[in-house]
Amino acid sequence: MSLLTRSEATWPQSQSDSVPALAGFVVSAFSPLAAHIAARCLEQVTATERTAVIIVSATGDLETAEATAKAVDAGQRPGPLLFYQAVPNAVAGYIAAKHGLAGPVICLGPQRPGLDEGLAVADLLIRDGDADEALIISVEQAMVPGGTGNAIAVLVKGGN
Amino acid sequence: MAITGMGVASAYGLGPAALLSGVLSSKPSFGPVTRFDVSGRRANAAAALPGSPDLRSTLRDVIEAACAQAGLSNRSGIPLFLALHGDPEVARSRDAQHLPGAFAASVASACGFAPGRVYTSACVAASTAVADAAAAISLGDVSTVVVAAGYLVEQDQFALFDAGRALAADGEVRPFSLGRKGIVIGDGVAAVVLSAAAAEPLAFVRGWGRSGDAYHVCQPIPDGSGMARAISAALGRAGLVPEQLGYVNAHGSGSVLSDVAEARGLNLALGAAAGTVPVSSTKSLHGQSLEASPLVELVTTVLALREGMLPVNAGFLGADPDCDLNLIVDEPLAATPAYALSLNSAFGGANTALLVGTPS
Repeated sequence: MSLLTRSEATWPQSQSDSVPALAGFVVSAFSPLAAHIAARCLEQVTATERTAVIIVSATGDLETAEATAKAVDAGQRPGPLLFYQAVPNAVAGYIAAKHGLAGPVICLGPQRPGLDEGLAVADLLIRDGDADEALIISVEQAMVPGGTGNAIAVLVKGGN
Repeated sequence: MAITGMGVASAYGLGPAALLSGVLSSKPSFGPVTRFDVSGRRANAAAALPGSPDLRSTLRDVIEAACAQAGLSNRSGIPLFLALHGDPEVARSRDAQHLPGAFAASVASACGFAPGRVYTSACVAASTAVADAAAAISLGDVSTVVVAAGYLVEQDQFALFDAGRALAADGEVRPFSLGRKGIVIGDGVAAVVLSAAAAEPLAFVRGWGRSGDAYHVCQPIPDGSGMARAISAALGRAGLVPEQLGYVNAHGSGSVLSDVAEARGLNLALGAAAGTVPVSSTKSLHGQSLEASPLVELVTTVLALREGMLPVNAGFLGADPDCDLNLIVDEPLAATPAYALSLNSAFGGANTALLVGTPS
């Protein structure tokens, strides 16, 4: 089966492109960026209810992991909000609830950044029947502290 | 899909025999954490192997054990699906070699597998990997997939779960019980070999289902409808009706909200059969191994079916009227069901159901 792209979005689109804060998520830009790129991708289209949410990230949420490690190494208690955002499922759940996407929630950590692994899983889910469409969100954080991350999102459905 | 080989390491020790005897002892494998300092934490219990085992080498050991049982010596072209949380070292170095993909690639290479896929979907990561492997085999994409998963208790996740008040302060997991206080995290490393056909299968993955709640960042949808859809999908793929199920190894984390939602989901999907099918959560014995837990539970379920003894739902203090299930309490239940469900759910409203069948 080939997948058909219904919508796509990228971040940043310019040097001034910004990411709004996301209530309940702190310290790290990972989850706000995932939520923002999902909203941007779904601005002009309505996804079906049986849409999977697939988050793909080679880096994962480095900033949350670093904040946790910093607290632990200092003998302190991490902030409780870090617990909720420590796995990419959390922002996937936010996206699924906000946009009414009740397909499977899947997070992947490929060796190389990009959508490829997500597209492969989306193709499998749609052919297997647990989803009609998939919103695939690639979010990467900079490996250098203070660097800029990037994100891509696509909404796909099954083709012929 | 045939399960032709299994390997596992848990707090009960190395190998399936240690896990089976441990869970059938009905004594949880929990104890005070000595691997790292927990003096500043609210909770202090975990299910841990002695010392500080290395995740990479433990994964290799259980993968090799599973492959040896399956007779899988030529691994050319066979993908390895790996469920991981990640390496805490990456948070301290930003070294790309500690990222999940690089870690998985090194494990796959060391074991002779083709590049595979890394699942990081929290507490459904490993069960999603199994479902995807079964689907890929069912659709004819591949003939064999090895699914492995690993989590070893470490200080960062312990601190996070403690900060989120998710850990049981009394050091016990009491799924679906009055007085339940949360989870106990545990060491869990497991591997299974899934193949399209086998001469001597250990069991079969007859059905699978994955769904999302579309409800909340971290809370399950209260009516359990998301889990119910996953269960119904698994039954549908297997061509079974609820009355044919003989055991449910529930997600049963011991969390207040999650257990209620799961019980409602089981009742929604199974109808009257939810009142009779024996249910336990083996997390009450081996603990919760985060991304790896579903695979430890799948292995446990297969071992229990083959032994004809269903593990207890340990830590039970009394019936919660909001968790209306036929729980196995007091002692393991002697039974030889043909079919069992292994259920899992996670943050983000993710749900999975795996339907296991014995060789017939």
